[in-house]
Amino acid sequence: MAPYLVRRFVATLVALGGALTIVFVVVRIVPGDPALLMVGPEGTRQDVMALRQRLGLDRPVADQYVRYLLAAARLDFGESLRLEEPAVQAVLQRVPATAQLALSATVLAVLVSFPLGILAALRHRSLVDHGVSVISLLGQSVPNFWLGIMLIVVFARTLRVLPSAGIGGVSHLILPSTTLAFLLVGVLTRLVRSGLLEVVCEDYIRSAYAKGLATVSVLTRHALPNVVIPIVTVLGLQLGQLLAGAVIVETVFAWPGVGRLLVDAISTRDYPVVQVVVLIITATFALVNLVVDLSYAYLDPRIRYL
Amino acid sequence: MPNGRDRDQIGGMTRRQFLRGTAVLAGAASGLLGMPRRVDSSPAPSGTLTVSLPARIVGLDPLGPQAAEEPVRVVSAHIFDTLVAHDPLARRYLPALAVKWETPQPTTWVFTLRSDVRFHDGTPLTSRDVKASLERMIASRGPLAPLWATVEAVEAPTPTAVRIRTRSPLGTMLANLSLLAILPADRMAQPGFFDRPIGSGPFRVVSYRPDSELVLEANPAYWGPAPGVRRLRFPDIPEVAARVTALVTGEIDLTYGLPPDQVASLRSTPGVRLAATPSYRYYFVWMNFKRKPFQDRQVRQAMIYALDVDTMLTTLMKGIGRRMLAPIPSTVFGFAPQRPYPYDPRKAKQLLAQAGFPDGFATSMIWNPDSGPQDRELAQALFSYWNAVGIRVKDEQAERAQWLSRLLKLEWDLDFQTNGVLTGDADFVLRRLYTTQAHRMGYANPKLDRILAQAAETLDQNARKVLYADACAILWDDAVGIYPCELIQTYAVRTRVRGFVPTPNFPVFTRVTV
Repeated sequence: MAPYLVRRFVATLVALGGALTIVFVVVRIVPGDPALLMVGPEGTRQDVMALRQRLGLDRPVADQYVRYLLAAARLDFGESLRLEEPAVQAVLQRVPATAQLALSATVLAVLVSFPLGILAALRHRSLVDHGVSVISLLGQSVPNFWLGIMLIVVFARTLRVLPSAGIGGVSHLILPSTTLAFLLVGVLTRLVRSGLLEVVCEDYIRSAYAKGLATVSVLTRHALPNVVIPIVTVLGLQLGQLLAGAVIVETVFAWPGVGRLLVDAISTRDYPVVQVVVLIITATFALVNLVVDLSYAYLDPRIRYL
Repeated sequence: MPNGRDRDQIGGMTRRQFLRGTAVLAGAASGLLGMPRRVDSSPAPSGTLTVSLPARIVGLDPLGPQAAEEPVRVVSAHIFDTLVAHDPLARRYLPALAVKWETPQPTTWVFTLRSDVRFHDGTPLTSRDVKASLERMIASRGPLAPLWATVEAVEAPTPTAVRIRTRSPLGTMLANLSLLAILPADRMAQPGFFDRPIGSGPFRVVSYRPDSELVLEANPAYWGPAPGVRRLRFPDIPEVAARVTALVTGEIDLTYGLPPDQVASLRSTPGVRLAATPSYRYYFVWMNFKRKPFQDRQVRQAMIYALDVDTMLTTLMKGIGRRMLAPIPSTVFGFAPQRPYPYDPRKAKQLLAQAGFPDGFATSMIWNPDSGPQDRELAQALFSYWNAVGIRVKDEQAERAQWLSRLLKLEWDLDFQTNGVLTGDADFVLRRLYTTQAHRMGYANPKLDRILAQAAETLDQNARKVLYADACAILWDDAVGIYPCELIQTYAVRTRVRGFVPTPNFPVFTRVTV
């Protein structure tokens, strides 16, 4: 196991370096100048030049890159150009909000999609099955900014049972996490359904039924454990989708998370913040998928890591 | 310290608030805290006002790179004080931290400060803090720093005297000072200061969570009249639909910057009223003098005659914009009304023919989709009116960062955007945009340059007004730009909010009660 972890750790470092380099270059290739945006259309050329100099943006990109790497090695990822605080601090401040949203959406999606998927598989080609298919299709195709606004209109404006925006208690979490979960529900329900449909034709399921087990036992003891691995894999990969969705959901629901920070940082060309967000997202992605890979051994005892 | 301002405030309050006034309690409390006893008959602040601003509060530094952003200016006007206060409705500058000022020489200003002002942590505010704040503003190289380009030195000869020396006379000194927040000199450079900054204003910061909420509370030791509410909350709600919902359900008390369709729906919403005011923001179109055929005044005028501005405003702006009569909005100091160009497509075609374009010409227009309310609709209307007289305009909409860099490099034919007169003074727009040296649309007129330079260096405000009237006429007759509309700012307010007076620059909530 140890050599495996070391290999994964090295690979993660390489991925982080690669992501950092790409984003460093790309944000600077995109037209637009942070100093110009800060000074605004009222500023003069001299104002912009002076600000560029103060921010160190007047140096060649290669020079900036080397300086950035040297500083990054000391865990100094620079000051946000716009927020006047260390970029890492700005991002970490907003990580808990996004994590809370992503986690609750994932839990909600799992809680909803497993029963739906099982129901659809057990009642294969029935009305229920078709109904579930429609739900999962909607989940994958309804744009979440639209869904979010509709939920606000219905539950906050018309029924007045939930707050429309902002962060606070559990009631604030319901609408944004439902919006975000909807996408996942679509993907997961399909997976559970098709996985089960594949498995139920296997010999060992027939044997389980033959030895007199109830449907519930067959499902929980024999069928589901064999469906779980692809689902866990997809859950790990869906993290990217989840974070992309969070960008929109956070804006619609005024959720003070990383997604909104990233969008603002991109439109104001706040290079250090964009770089840190991408780094943290890459690291999270790598970590989650490492956990996913390690969990295989637990879910399927035949799997060993060398 | 009873003064004229305090008495003015009493007139604006209800009898109940007056009776509820707990001046005795406030006096006793400040006595216990060892602070100078305040003789003040204003009622104790009570209740919470919740305001959602149209853009997010990026930070609480009123001297830094975000100093010009409206949300920053709104909240800092409550947390910090300035030497002079701008009354945008009366277009006057009133004493605030400075009780009086004089100009012994045209290039020297001496301000006398109040001696009873304390920051929120109890330390006194002195001339040293004023000096440090102005120097920080200049060093920030931020968007407001150029206002102070002619400052040579800031001196603090005594704790209550500030001397500002300039290289040439600065006619906008008071306008500039009304934007300069005073911060504690020895603490503002400390790391983390702006997480919970200390000012001397009517409200102090309770908590600030970026992208989420800023909470202020009334400053019990404020030197001026006590604010009307005890708490002032600024929750951040970026999505318009969510913001309007929060207003309708009563989660927030006040918001603004809404599109016309939302304003229309709120007009009939129970519990909500609308308050509108002409603002400092306006729409304009520039024509690039460095590109053909815009050097020709006939072409530029034809572009204006081709537009049915009144119809555009009634159908698209629906009460959030009104016709402009000068290159600056009517709310601004220096505004002088001109004769509007009528809608006359025949004359437009005739002028084009005289200029050598009987069949019109092809050109392009840059703009960015975050420039203002109904910008897309207005841009489409412009295209179709111009098309009707043979001017075929290619739509070159670009994201703000790209639009801005093209704009400043003069890589465009036509430019469509909004602009705000931050200081409320014509100098801010005219001298910074239209001089030969500014080189923003390539217009070069030595006569205009002279007038604007002279106006900037004149201390007599009436003389300045005359000079700006000349400048407005030159820009208007020369058709340097097209000025269709100044924006009306509409505030949507819950009816429980009392005493809110909309002003053209940005909203202030110190007088508001709930």
